[in-house]
Amino acid sequence: MKFLNLFVLASLFCAAPLAAKVKVVTTTEDLAALAREVAGDTAEVGYIARGYQDPHFVEAKPSYLLKLKKARLFIQVGLELEAGWAPALLTSARNPGILPGRPGFMDASEGCEILEKPAGGLDRSLGDVHPLGNPHYWLNPENGRLIARAIARRLSVIDPDNAGKYKANLAAFETRLTGKEKDWDAAAAAFKGIKVVTYHNSWPSFAKRFGLDVVDFVEPKPGIPPSPAHIHSLIARIRAEGVSLLMVEPYFDQKLPKKVAAEAGVPLVIVPPSVGGEEGIKTYFDLFGRQLELLKKAGGK
Amino acid sequence: MRFHKALFSALLLNVPAALPAQPQLSGNALQSSNILNPNISVVGWLQGETGRRNPAGEEEVSPFAVKEAEIAFQSVVDPYTRADVFVAVEGEGGIDLEEGYLTWYSLPGGLSLKAGKFKGAFGKFNLTHTPETPFADRPLAHEAYLGEEGLASAGGGLSWHVPNPWLLLNLDAQAFTMPEAAEVPAFDKARRDLLYIGRLNGYLDLTEAANITLGGSCALGAAGQEFDPVSSSSSTLSSRLYGLDLTYRWKNPRRAIYRSLFWQTEILWNRREISAGSHENTKGYFSHLEYQFARRWRAGGRYDWTQAPGGGTAHESGVLAYLTFMPSEFSLLSLQGRQVDRSDGTKEKLAFLKLTFNIGPHGAHPF
Repeated sequence: MKFLNLFVLASLFCAAPLAAKVKVVTTTEDLAALAREVAGDTAEVGYIARGYQDPHFVEAKPSYLLKLKKARLFIQVGLELEAGWAPALLTSARNPGILPGRPGFMDASEGCEILEKPAGGLDRSLGDVHPLGNPHYWLNPENGRLIARAIARRLSVIDPDNAGKYKANLAAFETRLTGKEKDWDAAAAAFKGIKVVTYHNSWPSFAKRFGLDVVDFVEPKPGIPPSPAHIHSLIARIRAEGVSLLMVEPYFDQKLPKKVAAEAGVPLVIVPPSVGGEEGIKTYFDLFGRQLELLKKAGGK
Repeated sequence: MRFHKALFSALLLNVPAALPAQPQLSGNALQSSNILNPNISVVGWLQGETGRRNPAGEEEVSPFAVKEAEIAFQSVVDPYTRADVFVAVEGEGGIDLEEGYLTWYSLPGGLSLKAGKFKGAFGKFNLTHTPETPFADRPLAHEAYLGEEGLASAGGGLSWHVPNPWLLLNLDAQAFTMPEAAEVPAFDKARRDLLYIGRLNGYLDLTEAANITLGGSCALGAAGQEFDPVSSSSSTLSSRLYGLDLTYRWKNPRRAIYRSLFWQTEILWNRREISAGSHENTKGYFSHLEYQFARRWRAGGRYDWTQAPGGGTAHESGVLAYLTFMPSEFSLLSLQGRQVDRSDGTKEKLAFLKLTFNIGPHGAHPF
């Protein structure tokens, strides 16, 4: 019996190496969804931040180190979205292969269309600004396509034996994405050109792709809670400029946005900006489908 | 939130060795000429104080003072190491190298090596520089055993992630040059002038929102020397300090910026050799509870009880309560009140106004 126990224990420790699947860990569920499209069942994909979390404020919990320790590929959104937690995790994970500059480290923003890159001087009087550009770029499906291509390239370097599978999976993903984009464009036509106010500046890539006009934010500056004076002027602006709806990310408290929406007389819509932001959003395709459905319902012409 | 970035990240990620600040390997500079420069940040600490300290006149206190500006330089050195340097410029004019160390973070087998001057892995609280703690002071037990600035000295240490499939378990083994008793009262310089620290701690997620860290620490060193006039020889007295720490955290990730709970308790036991073959056992502890009840507001309290190393059964106890407002994640204003029952029977009542700010690249969020 004692020998049997030892054998079971030893098997637990040895199980991981025998499985030999490439382990991919991403910072967000969005990147994990894209990685799964490319990897299929060839690699094991995990993530750190859940889709219903504010990705700016994730705790660098030591349990994440267990995920990172065995990862062969780490993928981050970059542009300092994860500056408060990813660097600390990487340097504590004791896994040199996924440190910046190594093949196992990938910044998904490279090669993507990045909006709102500050041109002039920048300091924190502007709030918690991102000096390298707006990091919510995955909300443009064309950037999703570029990210998937980059993941396929990187996986093929790390795991050349399965390069053919990654290439085939990528091709299937791109074909499906091209088809879906036509559907999404048709859905977005219902609200194209409407003016919206959002809580945080999370939506420039989405707005550009699907034709929303973001005129203001509930936050006066990124990461800064609104003052009564800002709320007062925001309500006046919503009324004056004919704003059609107020979009709020699910991780923000809805009490104040509800008050703003009620006083300004516009609908409030809770729009998940990430895969996993709602129960049924499990893939990158689900994400845009749900977002467009919500916007069409709330702001459709 | 992100305010205490640098040093606070170490507290959360304190499971590995003391990492008071985490360098950002990707760099933040906007100008290419700055890309290879180290990250430079400053934590400023201003404090007002009113009330009467006991014993009176023990410490001259300004009603309002610039306590410290802590300047941090952090950078990757090469593909194998990073460097972290913390210089404290005190309001009274003194300059002190609080920490300055290299970390080899690319070692195989889950190992990490550290060398230089750094804070010893004794408990969790010791790893935090005072400006970055929620308090205007340090817990009485920590002051009594580890000194006003905490246990830090020159030395080296290995940290190891103990492989297991259930939880993150970390083992630290460190050796330091023995600090003076004035700096770390639990120990004193002697001929055998090395201080050894060992620490084992485990971290476990209880739920998605709650987690717990349990750690045990041990420090072995000297407690000065005893001279025997008969044999004209001297012998080294020993001191052993044991610690147990428990940290519980709760934060709903769906509302992470609005509500959180933090509870930490540390207990210290000291077995000190008073003279050859004669030992004295003393102890101390503190317990700290903090609740974040709004995006920018936190309230907390701390209970202290401690004896002094080699100080017999006399003890002192105290409570500290605070209310903290954080205009942004880079500054805070904290109103605090403290009462201490001193061992001589007197009571000390003080009020503090603590103001800190952080400038520099974006560091890690506290955990």
